[in-house]
Amino acid sequence: MNRTGLVYDERFLLHDTGLYHPECADRIRVIYKHLVETGIIEKLVVIGAEKANQRWIEQVHNIHYIMKFEESCMYGLTEFDHPDNAICRDTYETAFLAVGGVLKAVDRIMDGTIDNAFCAVRPPGHHAELDKPMGFCYFNNVAIAARYVQQEYGIERVAVIDFDVHHGNGTQHTFDSDPSVLYYSIHEHPSFAYPGTGREFETGTGKGKGFTVNSPVLPGRGDNDYCKLLTQDLVPAMKKFNPEFILISAGFDAHETDLMSGTMLTADGYDFISNLMMNLANRFTDGKVVSVLEGGYNLEVLPVLVENHIRTLAGLRR
Amino acid sequence: MFVKERMATGLVTVGPEMKILEARQLMIEKNIRHLPVVDDAGQLLGLVSDRDMRDAMPSRLLEPQDYKNSLEKIGNNTVSDIMTVDLLRIFPYYTIQDTLLLMQKKKVGAFPVVNDEGTLQGIMSTRDLLKAFVNVLNIDEPGSLLCIVVENKPGQMKKIVDVITEENISLGSVLVARYWEKGKRAVFPYLLTNNVITVKKRLQGLGFEMIDPMQWYIDQLPS
Ligand SMILES: [Zn+2]
Repeated sequence: MNRTGLVYDERFLLHDTGLYHPECADRIRVIYKHLVETGIIEKLVVIGAEKANQRWIEQVHNIHYIMKFEESCMYGLTEFDHPDNAICRDTYETAFLAVGGVLKAVDRIMDGTIDNAFCAVRPPGHHAELDKPMGFCYFNNVAIAARYVQQEYGIERVAVIDFDVHHGNGTQHTFDSDPSVLYYSIHEHPSFAYPGTGREFETGTGKGKGFTVNSPVLPGRGDNDYCKLLTQDLVPAMKKFNPEFILISAGFDAHETDLMSGTMLTADGYDFISNLMMNLANRFTDGKVVSVLEGGYNLEVLPVLVENHIRTLAGLRR
Repeated sequence: MFVKERMATGLVTVGPEMKILEARQLMIEKNIRHLPVVDDAGQLLGLVSDRDMRDAMPSRLLEPQDYKNSLEKIGNNTVSDIMTVDLLRIFPYYTIQDTLLLMQKKKVGAFPVVNDEGTLQGIMSTRDLLKAFVNVLNIDEPGSLLCIVVENKPGQMKKIVDVITEENISLGSVLVARYWEKGKRAVFPYLLTNNVITVKKRLQGLGFEMIDPMQWYIDQLPS
């Protein structure tokens, strides 16, 4: 059994996206409720969030962008740059808390309090670009955490594994030319799915050539394709890269019942992924892995998939 | 979408008396694939494509000395000797659709664009055209593609567009495949959003069938 941290904070609910937005506060409300009802919460180290120091956010985002974000929320606007990106007055603070929560999970792992962590944070992050909010994301939680791990703890090689059904364009672009961060993403094929990036031939640029790996999955495909692609693309890339820390962009929107995508991953497929993640962490990073919530919009299925994922992280499989 | 807004302007042009080696140098330096040849009044006389130029050059397979000698022999020729004069000219008020069709039918890689007086205004090449279509289809903006099979009867498109509009989603573009299966066509709206849940639910609620591209792919495979 592992000591697994759960980053959760009621203040993550304050980011109000309005009545009809799929990225709603209920997403993490139902996750938390489910973890309480199943009793799993007792086995976890619950970690509250703290606002991140802005200097870490500036490692990934442009200062003008951060200011524009603050202004838009302060003015009481309801969207930021695009109708996908719903905001309210509290969104800016909540985004700082989400980043801060993930950084705190890193701290707890590095000080030995926990072995690994799942961060039930929102807003999500992997679409957020240097100077642009995209696809419900404002600050790139995982990308910022990768920089934090490197700079605060002197860790050189960080692997970011992104299994959200959408390609993490923001994360990829942040580390495009950086050989110290391996970015791997498996997602629905960009011909069909948002945001339209993440093809096989996007493999990084300059010094970072070969340190970006993308596995697109065609709509209608499910567990078999995921197993095959992860085995054939991710595993060799990890062996070659030999990471010292693993960050996961955990999206549960590839599930067959999630209307956000056309992929047909089942709970078994997600189990395969979670198991693989833990095996990779045990093999390469002494089990050090922080998994961060990205998408997942079917409120009935999301809590169960998260429960399973956390059980695997904690070594609590039934 | 008119050629006027999409053609390449600010062109490098040369006079008919320019020596071909000089023109070649110019094309290499400025990365020009189509070099317009104009008279003093700006009237278009012809076009030298990179292919015209390659055809005029001695073979690279020649011995270095032979190559040099051959180059010297053609050194006095001018661009008027190699330019294509039999050109299809288009006008700034042509649409990009016209141009697409013409390019496909006439099998050319670029059209000189002239005004009614025959003065050169710009060039519309396949590259410019591709860029123009990428732009009007909005496909370089992030978004999601829907694949919908509809019955071949009037009013279907309106229903789809209405749902998209009511959901407040900006429509990047719509492509229609008129012949899909018997009595059906396929509609491909490109939505500039990540948020496709409600729109998909509503379309399915209206009885539209969403294509599973994988099924389509399997159907194409030989049995
Ligand atoms: Zn997603």
